[in-house]
Amino acid sequence: MNELQREYPEEIERILAKYPPENKRSAVMPLLYLAQRRQGYIPPQAIQEIAQILELSTTEVASVAGFYSLFHEQPEGRWRIQVCTDLPCALRGADEFLKRLCEALGVAVGGTTADGLFTVEEVKCLAACHRAPVFQLQGDGEIKYYESQSIDTVLALVEELRCKAESKKEGA
Amino acid sequence: MVVKMVSLTIDGRAVAVPAGTLVVDAAKKAGIDIPVFCYHPKLDPVGMCRQCLVEIGRPLIDRATNQFILDADGKPKISFGPKLETACTTPVSEGMVVVTDSDKVVAARKDVLEFILTSHPLDCPICDKGGECPLQNLTMRYGPPVSRFLFDEKMHLAKHVPLGELIYLDRERCIQCGRCVRFQSELVDDPVIGFSQRGRALQIVTFSNPGFDSIWSGNTTDICPVGALTTADFRFGARPWEMNASASICNHCAVGCNLTYNVRREAKAGGKTVIKRVMPRQNEMVNEIWLCDKGRLAYHYMESDQRLEQPLVRKGGELVPAGWDEALNLVTEKLRSAGNRMVMLVGGRLSNEDLFNLGELTEAQGGQKLLYSYMGGGDLVSRFAPPKGSNLGELGAGSVVLVVACDLHQEAPLWWLRLKQAVKRGAKLIVASARPTRLDKFATHVVRYAYGEETRTVAAFLPVNVAGAPQVIQSAAKTLTEAEDLIVIYGSDGLYLEESTALARTCAELLLKTNHTGKVNSGLLAAWQNGNLQGGWELGFRTVPDLAERLEKAALVWVAAADPAGDDPALAKAVRRTGFLVVQELFLTETARMADVVFPVLVNAEREGSYTSGERRVQRFYPALPPKGIVPEARPDFAIPALVGEKLGIELEDHSAALVMEHIAAKFAAFAGINYQRLAEVAEQWPPVGGSDLYYGGTSYLNRQGLGVTLSDVLQGESLLNPAPIQTTQRQKPSADALPVYPIQLLYDRGTTILPSALLHERLVQPAVWVHPTTAAEHKLQSKARLIYEGEAVEVAVLLSEQTPPKVALLPRSVGLLGYWLEA
Ligand code: SF4
Ligand code: SF4
Ligand code: FES
Ligand code: FES
Repeated sequence: MNELQREYPEEIERILAKYPPENKRSAVMPLLYLAQRRQGYIPPQAIQEIAQILELSTTEVASVAGFYSLFHEQPEGRWRIQVCTDLPCALRGADEFLKRLCEALGVAVGGTTADGLFTVEEVKCLAACHRAPVFQLQGDGEIKYYESQSIDTVLALVEELRCKAESKKEGA
Repeated sequence: MVVKMVSLTIDGRAVAVPAGTLVVDAAKKAGIDIPVFCYHPKLDPVGMCRQCLVEIGRPLIDRATNQFILDADGKPKISFGPKLETACTTPVSEGMVVVTDSDKVVAARKDVLEFILTSHPLDCPICDKGGECPLQNLTMRYGPPVSRFLFDEKMHLAKHVPLGELIYLDRERCIQCGRCVRFQSELVDDPVIGFSQRGRALQIVTFSNPGFDSIWSGNTTDICPVGALTTADFRFGARPWEMNASASICNHCAVGCNLTYNVRREAKAGGKTVIKRVMPRQNEMVNEIWLCDKGRLAYHYMESDQRLEQPLVRKGGELVPAGWDEALNLVTEKLRSAGNRMVMLVGGRLSNEDLFNLGELTEAQGGQKLLYSYMGGGDLVSRFAPPKGSNLGELGAGSVVLVVACDLHQEAPLWWLRLKQAVKRGAKLIVASARPTRLDKFATHVVRYAYGEETRTVAAFLPVNVAGAPQVIQSAAKTLTEAEDLIVIYGSDGLYLEESTALARTCAELLLKTNHTGKVNSGLLAAWQNGNLQGGWELGFRTVPDLAERLEKAALVWVAAADPAGDDPALAKAVRRTGFLVVQELFLTETARMADVVFPVLVNAEREGSYTSGERRVQRFYPALPPKGIVPEARPDFAIPALVGEKLGIELEDHSAALVMEHIAAKFAAFAGINYQRLAEVAEQWPPVGGSDLYYGGTSYLNRQGLGVTLSDVLQGESLLNPAPIQTTQRQKPSADALPVYPIQLLYDRGTTILPSALLHERLVQPAVWVHPTTAAEHKLQSKARLIYEGEAVEVAVLLSEQTPPKVALLPRSVGLLGYWLEA
């Protein structure tokens, strides 16, 4: 039993149950997702462990993880603020919004804040074009959508999350 | 099986091909090249690169009558789709009209090419593929002189990425055709390289340990249509057009893969001609267009500076250089006095011609013709091997293959690959082995036995024994009894000579009792450890169980191409005690060190000859290096017995291998009619490879020098089964806690002709016994243990391996150790 199996025994079983045993390789996507939930990215060890569970080669699992841009192989911020800058959003000021957000956090697009809490990313259409600026927040195993945003609302959210991170630390 | 033929028109030419043929292949058969990158005739089509776009029209069909709609001239009306189609994924259909040379098609080729070139460096002047590269050829033909894309946006990526120590990747040359990745997963089941990322960021990655962990990796450099994959061996070694090509045969295992040595004269080598690389040479009956990495990379022994350069004669206890005459005279004199108390011990890397002359000399003396092999049963293979016309590449539905005591992937890699493909075509595979092997996955039946139970397991399949056997055996027995064709392959996993001889006999009996003899694609094969052991059997050499005793008692022992003293401590003792020891060798092996006279010999690349493969196919090799090259004083093996024979009044050919073959054909019925001309005959093969075709099969060489000839059958009937069943020796357990040790064979062994290739060192088997962790704990084995052999114990490293069955220890051969028991 490897670490992933020890940590998520039931989840893994539930995932594997969805596929016939001879096609268990199909479970690679949900398992990668599961692994990413733990640390916000998929470390090499998790890739190996998934390969073990599914009887695939490490390379096969790594190529799947590499193919999808939403699987991360590098540790980044605890929360990812993913701002849509596709055309309709751009027409509603998404570029400016992104620029100001980056300035306020002191990072470039794709960068992570010094405290390791936030990574700002640019993404394609999030299907809320009429309510731009819009971003999705990924972190702690969840995805949340924030529509009709302004720089003030997003910074308020950032503050809120920082407090959350702080209080956890003190509590612990 | 009746194959339905389909008629179509390609560029105005009427073509008829079997239903299911892809347009790209149909065109090639009609002599029309459609350029491809991702398509390879040995791989499933994927349609990834779009280079093969053509116009395809199909006849209009009247739905009411199901007949073609005709135009005014009475010809079917053809409807062309609005878009071009990929010739590599589209199967032919009746009445189809294909156009491969219209303006529209040419424009598409240009566009796809221009697109590919936006991310390609075109650094052909320093690229290893330059000169044999389809991208280069296509660019010369269709490439735009100026790109419409911005140069600054060209991708520049890492150029020297090691995918392990054997293969290098040049990222910016990769055109993402996926041939390498597909070859590794589809064909050889080693999915250890893959694509990561996508679009222009896509790259080939490996996460295995060691990197690109596959015994087939070199083949990807052949089929890669650009210079993205290169071997560490040949990278920046030479330009393809500077090298000469010379046909040869790999002699590292029983398969006998056809290969090509590429050689050139080199300032770096002081003006000498050197081998720059080994490439596969197409033989669809043997190795198709592939080589394993051992065959491709182990050739460096040939140019090792450790090679013996002149005859050595023992004087005052020391081996000192001597002239040929002196050495030959001494041996002649000793042979005269030894008379029939002479033993000739030959190894399996000698050619047929060498074996013949050595054998003739021995017979004239009345001596013993002994074969050095840890496997027996070659006399049975002579009688039971699949006859002429058999081809592993043709096995399919109705064929059954039984593989016993053999890790085929390691012992005869190309047979493994071809069986795997046979299973894909519908053949059934039965695997009987003591431990899991890489064949299990493709088997319909896996029969697991304990080491020592090999012969009994096969005997259980015999019609007389099968009732009452366990379910899996009954079912496997039914499958193989009912098979149209049955091939039985035995190996040497866990077997010593006697056991393997007994196993061979039972395998032969199984073929006989299930009526699978004398039929094409039915018969017995042995996974010999060298390329010409079967030749040894054919030419009358035999293994003996009491080899040590015979060596010790002989007045004169002559060893050619074998190192008994290096392999086996008991034989070392015997050799040391023998009367007079003559060795003809490439290197100063352990045995040569003990010799009284040592003769230096040539490697196969320096001379002519032929080998008999495990399938009894006689195949010819040609000199690749000029005479008097690496070792000017050395002689071909067959010349030495001839020179000695001359002094003894025995007439043997010492100069021309072709003439020796005529003598062989005159004496041995199985060789009747074989001569060097016949061995050089070729026929057209599919798929076409090795040319500058735009239909690109890879850099495997076309076979222009001979496909080989299968030996004839010599015996038929029940007498086939002589000799009688073999009794095997029971070995006394030295202590209650001792673990039995079984020998196994791995691909990257430490043999005389492998060790000198530094490139393979990281992959060579280590001198250690393998034990399952649980067994090790039960038997209190630490990192070292005592290996017991013939009453003596040596210390040996213990390697814990989950793959080893419980309650035994496994000992890879060739590591200089032997043992029957292991103690803490
Ligand atoms: S490395 Fe070669 S074979 Fe592999 S995908 Fe790239 S171009 Fe194709
Ligand atoms: S499969 Fe055997 S004959 Fe072929 S290249 Fe490998 S070692 Fe040589
Ligand atoms: S374009 Fe931004 S959400 Fe659709
Ligand atoms: S798409 Fe046909 S060869 Fe690549």
